[in-house]
Amino acid sequence: MQPPDRFDPWPEGIEPAVPIPGYANTFTHLPSQPLIRRPATRTEATGPFRLDRKLPCGDDNLAVPGPGRIALGQLIHIAGRVLDEDARPVPGAVVELWQANAAGRYFHPIDTRDAPLDANFIGSGRVLSDAEGRYGFFTIRPGAYPVPGPATWWRPPHVHFSVLGPASLSRLVTQMYFPGDPLNPLDRILMSVPDAAARERLVARLVPPAEVGLGWLGYAFDLVLRGRAATPAMP
Amino acid sequence: MSRPPLSQHTIGPFFPRSFVRPDDNDLARIGAGAPPSTRGERITLRGRVTREAGAACVNALVEAWQADAAGRFRHPADPAHALADPDFLGWGRAATDADGAFEFRSLMPGGYAEGNHHRAPHINLTVMASGLMRPLVTCLFFPDHPAENAGDPVLALVPPAARARLLARPEGLADGSRCFRFDLRLRGGATEETPFFCE
Repeated sequence: MQPPDRFDPWPEGIEPAVPIPGYANTFTHLPSQPLIRRPATRTEATGPFRLDRKLPCGDDNLAVPGPGRIALGQLIHIAGRVLDEDARPVPGAVVELWQANAAGRYFHPIDTRDAPLDANFIGSGRVLSDAEGRYGFFTIRPGAYPVPGPATWWRPPHVHFSVLGPASLSRLVTQMYFPGDPLNPLDRILMSVPDAAARERLVARLVPPAEVGLGWLGYAFDLVLRGRAATPAMP
Repeated sequence: MSRPPLSQHTIGPFFPRSFVRPDDNDLARIGAGAPPSTRGERITLRGRVTREAGAACVNALVEAWQADAAGRFRHPADPAHALADPDFLGWGRAATDADGAFEFRSLMPGGYAEGNHHRAPHINLTVMASGLMRPLVTCLFFPDHPAENAGDPVLALVPPAARARLLARPEGLADGSRCFRFDLRLRGGATEETPFFCE
């Protein structure tokens, strides 16, 4: 399959509205000058060949880091497909996932919050999408955590994704949310996405347990990257 | 069928350290343990990421992407991709340290023709950090090529007073090869900020 060769500007309502009140870094890190719009050319429409040789892939089980070791929390399986804007599968994409543990604490030296670490949960993994664009991770449902600062708000349970697809312009960094969590509509980051349908697309779908089995709760989440084919294939 | 792309979010403050390993910042190596390509001039690129008031951006992620020394990308979108250097990846990533500093090693990129234009040698940089709800994308050029820079169609889109901020500065030698400095100022007003692009 040919990689995407057409990159339209972002559709209205999908890009978060910034800065975000109560999130100080969106004020101090955001350029004051407007971004310079340029056409998408070869240097942006290309990307590295066989990136999985540079970034080893395959650690898809965050919940069971070794024999007899199981992370604390609700065991879940997150799976879906990496797609482009034409809904074509994106094979060979590097998909990185990271998240907090069940207590809402990250395994990271910068996270010094007074919540327990889990010796059986590091909370990061990297896989390669297959020929049909499929990816999947076994993990645990992360906990919510408070955001330091004068504005009182909590991040709802969420999972970070970083996707490296066929072009620089298809690079995606986003977060996945869980359906029905009461913190979702209070989250300043999720709610910074203006369009309600775009926010809904960041919420995973619970897969009926009859389709998954007893071991794990299943969530479906497609990772749709920017880019499409300039000349669509004839039907 | 059409699917809208997912919204972008910040990378947050907790991007895993295990996702950035030694040599990930060497664009000339195709993989872990692979030797760097020798088809070009070895260079080092050093810089700092700073925000408002010049404070360091800690734990920011910087990714680099460039053509090989002959100006070719090993990607189907480049008509000459079959001739691209197979030992050169052209991509790397680095995390900033407590001082906001990062470093890349690579080969000096080549310029190339595209349509009616000639692209000057350049390296694309993408910055992701807590508070950036979308990655910031910029492009650095080299002082070696004033004539090519003057004709570059992307550099021409930048306000003239800000163009010098997209030029890497020579900074002596590192490990026997030329070293360049390119600092990224995310927020600092019209006279200090790095120009960033969107498509």
